[in-house]
Order: sequence, then C-alpha cells, then structure tokens
Amino acid sequence: MHGVVKRFKNAAGEFTVLKGVDLTINRGEFVSIVGKSGSGKSTLLNMITGIDHPTDGKVVIGGTDIYTGVSESQRSKWRGRNLGIVFQFFQLLPMLTLLENAMLPMDYADMYDFDERPARAMDMLKLVGLEEFANKLPMLVSTGQQQLAAIARALACDPPLLVADEPTGNLDTKSANIIIDLFEELARRGKTVLMVTHDPSLTSRTTRNIIIADGELINETIAKSMPWLRHRHMMEFTKLAEERTYQPKATIISREEHIENFFMIRKGEVEVVLHDRKNGENIISRLKPGEFFGEIELLRGGKAIANVRAGASEPVEVLTIKREDFKRVMDVSPKTADAVGKIVQERLEVHRAADSRKGGLFSLFGRK
Amino acid sequence: MKPRWRKVLHDLIDNKARTLLVVFSIAVGVFSIGVIAGAYQIISQDMGVSYAANVPANIELRMTNFDEDVLDSILNQPNVKDAEARRVFNMRVRVPGTEKWVTLDMNSFESFEENSINLLTPLEGASVPAKREVLLEQKALTNLDVNVGDLLEFQLPDGSIKTLPVTGIVQDTASAAGDFLASPFGYVTMDTLPYLGQPESFNRALVTVTGDGDDIAYVREVGAALKEKLENNGQLVVRSRFSESHKHPLADTINAVLGILLALGILIVFLSSSLIANTLSALLNQHLRHIGVIKLVGGQRNQVFVMYITLIMAFGVIALLIAVPFGGAGAYGLAEFIANELNFNLLGYRIVPLAFLIQILVGLFVPLIAGLAPVVNGSRITVLRALSGGLADDEGPARSGEEKRLPWFDWIQVKVTRILAARGIHIPRPFVISLRNTFRRKSRLALTLFTLTMGGAIFIAVFNVRVSLHDYIGQIGKYFAADVSLDFDEPYRLREIEQAAMKVDGVERVEGWQFVSGELLDANGDVMENLNMFGPPADSGLVQPNLLDGRWIRADDVKKLAISESARKYFPNLNVGDQVHLKIEGREELWEVIGIFQFMDREGVLAYAPYEYVSQMNDLANRSYSFRLETEEHSRAYQDAKAEELDKFFRDQGFKVRVAESGRASLDTAVESLDTLVVFLLIMAILTAIVGSMGLTGTMGMNVLERTREIGIMRAIGADDRAVMRTVIAEGIVIGMMSFALAVILSIPFSYLLSTIVSLAIFQSAIDVVFTYQGYVIWLALVLALSTLASVIPARNAARLTIREVLAYE
Repeated sequence: MHGVVKRFKNAAGEFTVLKGVDLTINRGEFVSIVGKSGSGKSTLLNMITGIDHPTDGKVVIGGTDIYTGVSESQRSKWRGRNLGIVFQFFQLLPMLTLLENAMLPMDYADMYDFDERPARAMDMLKLVGLEEFANKLPMLVSTGQQQLAAIARALACDPPLLVADEPTGNLDTKSANIIIDLFEELARRGKTVLMVTHDPSLTSRTTRNIIIADGELINETIAKSMPWLRHRHMMEFTKLAEERTYQPKATIISREEHIENFFMIRKGEVEVVLHDRKNGENIISRLKPGEFFGEIELLRGGKAIANVRAGASEPVEVLTIKREDFKRVMDVSPKTADAVGKIVQERLEVHRAADSRKGGLFSLFGRK
Repeated sequence: MKPRWRKVLHDLIDNKARTLLVVFSIAVGVFSIGVIAGAYQIISQDMGVSYAANVPANIELRMTNFDEDVLDSILNQPNVKDAEARRVFNMRVRVPGTEKWVTLDMNSFESFEENSINLLTPLEGASVPAKREVLLEQKALTNLDVNVGDLLEFQLPDGSIKTLPVTGIVQDTASAAGDFLASPFGYVTMDTLPYLGQPESFNRALVTVTGDGDDIAYVREVGAALKEKLENNGQLVVRSRFSESHKHPLADTINAVLGILLALGILIVFLSSSLIANTLSALLNQHLRHIGVIKLVGGQRNQVFVMYITLIMAFGVIALLIAVPFGGAGAYGLAEFIANELNFNLLGYRIVPLAFLIQILVGLFVPLIAGLAPVVNGSRITVLRALSGGLADDEGPARSGEEKRLPWFDWIQVKVTRILAARGIHIPRPFVISLRNTFRRKSRLALTLFTLTMGGAIFIAVFNVRVSLHDYIGQIGKYFAADVSLDFDEPYRLREIEQAAMKVDGVERVEGWQFVSGELLDANGDVMENLNMFGPPADSGLVQPNLLDGRWIRADDVKKLAISESARKYFPNLNVGDQVHLKIEGREELWEVIGIFQFMDREGVLAYAPYEYVSQMNDLANRSYSFRLETEEHSRAYQDAKAEELDKFFRDQGFKVRVAESGRASLDTAVESLDTLVVFLLIMAILTAIVGSMGLTGTMGMNVLERTREIGIMRAIGADDRAVMRTVIAEGIVIGMMSFALAVILSIPFSYLLSTIVSLAIFQSAIDVVFTYQGYVIWLALVLALSTLASVIPARNAARLTIREVLAYE
C-alpha cells in the first residue's frame, strides 16, 4: 500500500479514516492487524480486499494495481481468483449446502473444469474436517463449522492471499484455536494470511503484527519493542522516532559516555560488550530486532555502563527516541515504566554477575 | 409536528421508489375500476337517452312500393303516434377521380324539415338537401374521402354515372342501430330519385306508437295490427322490425361486455391488493428496528398501529389523487370510444358519483385491508425481536448447540440437487441460488405467482376467445362461401351468366341463388321473427352446413327447409319433421323442417331450401337475380379484384349489375367489430399483466433489498456485475416461468368462461372454444420479457451495491 488515504463524508462533515498508510506484506507472512474500534483496521482490510476504494494512494497486490482503471465488477472477478476472504459472521449463503458454498467461488471465477469443482470443493472441506457435513445447509451446523466452511470456500480457488476479518470473533476458544492452527498451516504452505483481530492472544501466533491507531500504522519496531505502551504513545513514538543505521562493528554507545537516546532495534543485531582486563572484550549479550537498549541511563541517570556496537555480519538499523521524549512518555505511562523497570532490574542483575566474574565494568543493555 | 408524525412523513418521502411502488399498485386498481365503473354508468345512462332523443321508430316496415295514401292510412291506425315514409335503396358511389366504389344505403324522404322519426342530427353544412344534392351520414366518411361541397359519383343500374354534390354531414343514430353490417347512409329528397333512376315511391315506413314505446310486446302488437291492415289493403310487407323507444338495440350486448370488463376490473383490484399486501409486509419487515426503538422509548402498540395505518392511508390518498382524475378521463374516453363505434352521442363529460365513490372506497379500503395483517403483526412485535431484526428469521445464522430442523421444502430442494449430482448432473451454483431464492419467501412468492398467473391466464384466454369468435365467424362463412356475390337488377338465365362469367380469368364455378324474405309465425299466426330463406342449388359447393339434426336440402324437396338453430329461440321444441308456419309474400304456408343447422343470427332466422323449388315459387325457373361465384383463389384481395373485374365485365356486356362484392367483405366487417371487443378485453388483460409484472418487480426489489448482504458476499467471493445480475434475473425468470406454467393450465377454464360469457352477450348462444398457440407464445415471450425487465432494475441496484455498503448492513 502506498500512501493510502480514505476519507468519508457524512452529515457531520468529512473525516479521514486512513491517513496515508504505507504497508508492505510479503508472500508467506501470517500477519495480524490490530487496532481499537474505529481505528480504521476494517477500512484498511477493505482497501486490501478491494471491497472499498481509497480516496488517494495505491494498493498493489501480486503486482496488480487493483484500483487504477479497474471497475468494481472487474475487481470482484480479480478477487475471486486471487483472494480468499473469511468474515467474522462467516457469511455463508444460507440457501447453499457447505459443498455448494465451497464450489461457488470456482463458478464465479471460472476456475477449474466444471466437473472438477465438486471434487475440489470436497477436498477443501476435507482440509477443514467438514467432509461429513458437506451436504448440509449452514443453518444445520455449528458456528465453528460454519467458519471452517467459510475458510474452505476462501481456499476454493487456491488464492495466494487469505484475508480474515475477526475470524474467531464469534467463536468459542476451541473453535478459534482450530481456525488459527489452520491459518498457521496455510502460511507454512506459502499462503499469505492477513487477519484482523482484537484478540492479543492471537497476535502472538502471527509472524507479524500491524497496529493501526487513528488511521495510521504504528511503527512495527516500536510495537514489538514496547508492547505495553498505549497505542497513542506508540503512535507518538512512531512520529518522533529517528532511524539510524550503523555499519558492522560500528560503536553505538561508548561506556562512560552520557546517553541522550533510547534505542529500538529494527534490523540486524547489536552486541553488548564488556572489556575484560585480562582477555580484552567480552560480548555479554546480543540483542535482536524488537529489543531495546539505553533505558537504564535514561531512567536512572548517569553514564553508559557498557559498550554497544553493531553486529559483525550486517549493518544494524535502529530507531531512536530522544531522552526527554522517552522520559515524558514513561512518566505518563506507569504500566510501561513498571515493565521497563523490571527489565532494567533483570539486566542489572545479569550485568553485575557478569561484571563481578569478569571484573569488568558495567554495560547497559536491554532485553524484552 | 410530533416526532412520530414526522417519522410517518419521512417514511413516505425518504424511500421514493417504495412509495411509488405502493402508490402505483393502489392506483392501478383504482384506475381500472374507475374506468370501467365510470364507462358503465355513462353508457347505461347516455345510450338510452341519446337513442331516444332521435325518436327511433318503434316499427319499421319494409314494403313494396307505396304512396302517400298508404302513409296516411298508417297514420290513421289506432295506437300509431307518428309515421314517416322513405325510400331506401343501395347505390354504389365513388369520389370522382378514384376507382374505389362504396355501397351506400340511400334514404330519401319527402320533407327533411318535417323529419320526426329517426331524426338526423346535423354535424356540418346543410341539414336539408336541395334537389340533386346529397347528405352523408358521418360513418360514410370512413370509406369516402369527401368534404362538404365535394362531388360524389353515383352509379346507376345501367352503368351510367350521375353526380351529386355533398352539401352536409349528419348523424343518424337510430337507423340500423345495432346492425354492424349495415352500409353507411346517404340522404336525398324524393325529387332527386328520378335523377338516380329510382321511382318516386316509398318502400319503407317508420312508425312510432302511442302509449308505452318501451313495451316491446305492445309494440309488436301494434305492428302486427298495422301489417294486417296493410296486407288486407293489398300492400305487401316484406319485413318488419320492432324496437323499444329508450333501449338501444345493442344495450344488452354492451352491458354484458361492460360486465365482463367490470369483472376484470374487480380482478385487477384484487390482484393489486395482493401486491399492496406484499409491499406493506416487506415495508413492515424493514421497519422492525424502527418499531423496536419506538417501543423501547415508550411507544405503545396502538400508537405504532395508528402510525402505520396513517402511512397506508397516505399511500391511498396519493394514489387517489393520481388515479381518480385519470380514471374519470379514462371512463369518458372508453365511453366515447364505444359511443363512436355504435354511433350514439354522450351527454358530455362529467364526474360519475358512483364511480367516484367506488374509487375512493377501493383506494382507501383495499390497502387498509391488505395492510392490516402486516401492520397488526408489526405492531405486536416485542422489543427484543424487533431489535434483533433479521437474526430472528430464517436467514440468520444458527447458534451453536441449537437443534434446527430443515423445512421440508428446503430438504426436498437439497435432496433433488444431490440426486442429480449423484447422476453427474451438476447445476451451476449461481443458478442453484436463483432457484432456491425463489422459494425462500413462500407467501410472497404465492402472491406474486397469483397476480402474474391471473394476468397470464386472462391474456391467453383473450387470444383464445378471439380465435373462437373468428372461428365462429368462419363457421358462419361456410354458409356463404362464395368468393364473389353478383347481384343484378333484373333476373338473368343461369346459363347465360355462367357462360359469361367463365370467360373471366379465375372464375371456376357459378351458381344461381334464390332469396326469399318471409316471416316466421306462431300458432296464432302472429309474427315471431323475420325469416331469410336462401335457395342455393341442392348440390351447391358453396354451403358447408354444420347440421345438428336431420339432413341438408335435396333438389326434389318441396316446401321443405333446413332452418338455423336460432329458430329454437322461438320454438324451443322444434325438431326435424315438424311443420313451421311461414308468411311468404303475404301467403301463409306450412313448411316441413328437414334439418336444423348450427347458426346464430342477430337479425332474423336463416333457412335454406333448394333453388330447384324456390325458383319455381318465385317464378324464376332457370333464372336468378343473384349469383355466387367461386374463384381459383380465396384471399380477400383476390376476391376484391375479381369482384371489380366481374362488375366491369358484366356492365360492359350490358347486364344490369346492382352489386358485385367479395365474399369476405361482410364477414370481415363482422370480424372487425368483434375485434373491437377483443381489443377491450386485451386492454384489460394487459392491465392485469402490468399489475402482475409490477408485483414481480416489487417482489424482486424486496428480495434484493433483503438479500443485500448475500449479494455483497457473492461479490466478495468473485461475482462480477453480470454474475450478480444473472442471479437476480434468473430468479425473476424462474418465477415468470412458473407463472407461465400455471397460466397455461388456468387459461383453459378461463377461455371457456370468457368465450361463453362473450358469445352469450353477442350471439345469445355459447360457441365452441378454439385454442390457439398465439396467446401462449405471445404470453411466453411477454412473461419472459416482463420478468427480465421486472428483475433488471433490482438486479442493477444489486450490482451497484458496493460490498462495503452491504457488509455494513450487519
């Protein structure tokens, strides 16, 4: 998605639901999109599925710009072939059996030979474990089974992309688990699965989590590094964060220096290094994307207690937040401050232990 | 305005398409009933008044030539109020410079200024012709392109041409009223007659009676006495005709036809009420949430009830505002059309109070009755159910743990699809959706099918009635199967005419016929009815009788006749072998009935006797005035051409031709007048079809509205515009086809019923029903087109819906 803007007009005036969203999702990812009610996540999904059209910007899926010069009708046809949609309320057609529901997209998209379609639909129902209910009307099966049938229908044309809008929102925990297991399996098989959800327990099972707030995407590094932050603070950080890139082995923090920034790793690896009097440098920890460092000095004051440098193999990309911004947010977000405080405690423990063993100086590092 | 009344107002204004549909549904019924009831009232009031205003003759006597003295003696008879003498004769006329001859019934009388019976109404130009001038009855203008001041050429029996100027156009509503086959009239003064080669004597007496001219028995009594007196004085009365003063001869027929139209009008009201019920029930369904909210904030059941009843009344009032003026205009238009066809005048445009009242009642009460059940049900609904909206009905998702049973009809549908699939027959799923959607709202489907089926059945039946009437006319034609009728002013030998006629290309057979005009008498010797006796050769190939009893005429029959079944109207027990009492040329005779054939005649009773005997009786052995010719082709155009050719041929040879006419000419006139009636029936059938297709449009619109979410799902999983439209249109066509199948079945009893009613009205006897594929084919095409059209708008709306809109419907 490139600069996708969506504005709606109503009697109260015009309001912008999506404020220039840029988003790239790669093939084979299992992505969750979360956000509060009214944050714009359904609108975002509608942009991706071609269900609604953006006011501005582009949506390119599998190399196809799905809005420029494409009518709604053509988009429906495209969707039938390239996209499987799973709705919160299943949206099976009530007058068709589960098998017929699963055959319908093939009829619309004219995929597979006419005579092959029943067998293909039955395969999909087998995949979701519904073969014995194939000839039942939706009203005669449970809601969980209806959702599984909806997934079978979404898979009927073998689309590369599966989009699910709150797929477990109306299901009990057991049924929800079955659905998510299925999505994981599909992602493993190379399908791209995009899921809007409210449920935080589900986001942990996706390979990527996109948070949307007030029509804008929260920086994924920030969301991953500081999950305890309120969305508005995440958004504030998203706007304040600066990107920096360090070449391999380049020093990011030097011991005994004052630190002015809070760091979150976006890409690559950083090494936390203590200098041993006998053996020279000692790497006490390696931090990966989604981890942060620099918080101890910012929260407790003082100078850096260790060296931090970019990993040896590749450049490292970090996001930085200025000291005063970080402290301001910590001051108004006690929950986050507590969580970060605990991490600081843990790290200090680890550091002390390492330092007493090695006799070196304290370094500072952070781990989620 | 209180909020609840504001809501009613918004309900009325906001969804204009729905308001229009309901208003139009009501308006169609109001309009139809208004037109028919209004026309019925106007015609039944004006027909008699207009007819009576021209002082129609109660007694019309066709006699041999007579003079003023005879007229005086008629005037001196008891119970005779007034009498007028005329000379009536046929003449062929044409506009100078044209080739087309038109036969006029020329009327001449002494003084136009003193015309007191069968009054002429002046329309244009002079109302009194001077010597050697002619007035034309307005009907003549349909065949003659002349204006006042133009000249007309009159052909005399010897072939010579005389010219008269047309000095005026008049209307004659009384003469030949009710006779569809009568020729148009021309009027000249008696002193013009010698110029036209006619004697200056009268041959027709028009008489009005004193006392009750509306008592037909009394009129007949006076007429019988008059005839007796005249015949005793040696005056021959050839035919007589009796009429009431205030009753148009076709009043019964027209009333019967209007009765049929009225029945159809009531049916349309009935059908439109089912349409209203359907729409209102859907409206209430859509408004469940509103009702829920109203009740949630303290609204009571009766308040909800009153709100929706007010809404229905508002629909009714709007419909009345539209339909009443159109209905009034339509009523007058229909009455005027009928009046024109039958040549009488209306008393002027007016509002018919009864029709107005009926329209008001229909416009207000029909929707009220139709909408009562949905409104009562809607107002009774609980807040919980109202707010749960669609989730409470069959289209909502099932909840886990709930045991649901499949309705039997759905079970059958799924089962049938499975059985077919097991045999390798897979119906495309989009079509399965159309098929199963058709049956989802069964009561709505039933109402839609009912309206569309009734429309179709009536439509098809009208075509069958038309063909049955044509077939009947065709049957009549079998008694007059000649291609050309050739009548002369003097008798010619059969051989002479045959030899001459055979010289004309295409003539294959010539027969000399005799004609006798007489009267059928009862046991007391009183006249029952006129008798037209034809005398074709016994071996004639130009009569193909449909014998009900006995046998056909033979050459050696003496005083034996085959008589039409219409004689049984006067002698219900008449059978073969019975004797009938006839009066021929003033002589009373007994004739034996040897056969009874199927034929109903409006004027008189038809009979056949062999030429061989009748010619002797007429003293015309081997001679005849009248000849019937058969040609090698039988089309109307060929007949017309041959008639023209024979006319010229015989005149050139010096024969005194009176008229040469194609055999189909008069039959075609009869067919045309019947077709006018069929057109009325067809208009009503089309109106019912319109109501039916409106019902279908409404149903499809409501279905689409209710299935908006499903249409969104279809789009979401790949259905493009065409696929969505196909699904909706296929459903419409499935309903259309179902209604067609039902209409085909229902059209059979309808055809019998309608044919019987119509033929009883026109012929006073039931006719055989003939079925034609035409109505079925046309209705099939029409119902396909209507159901497609009825679905196209909802389908287009469905295709236009964006998925965001429809999924926001949750």
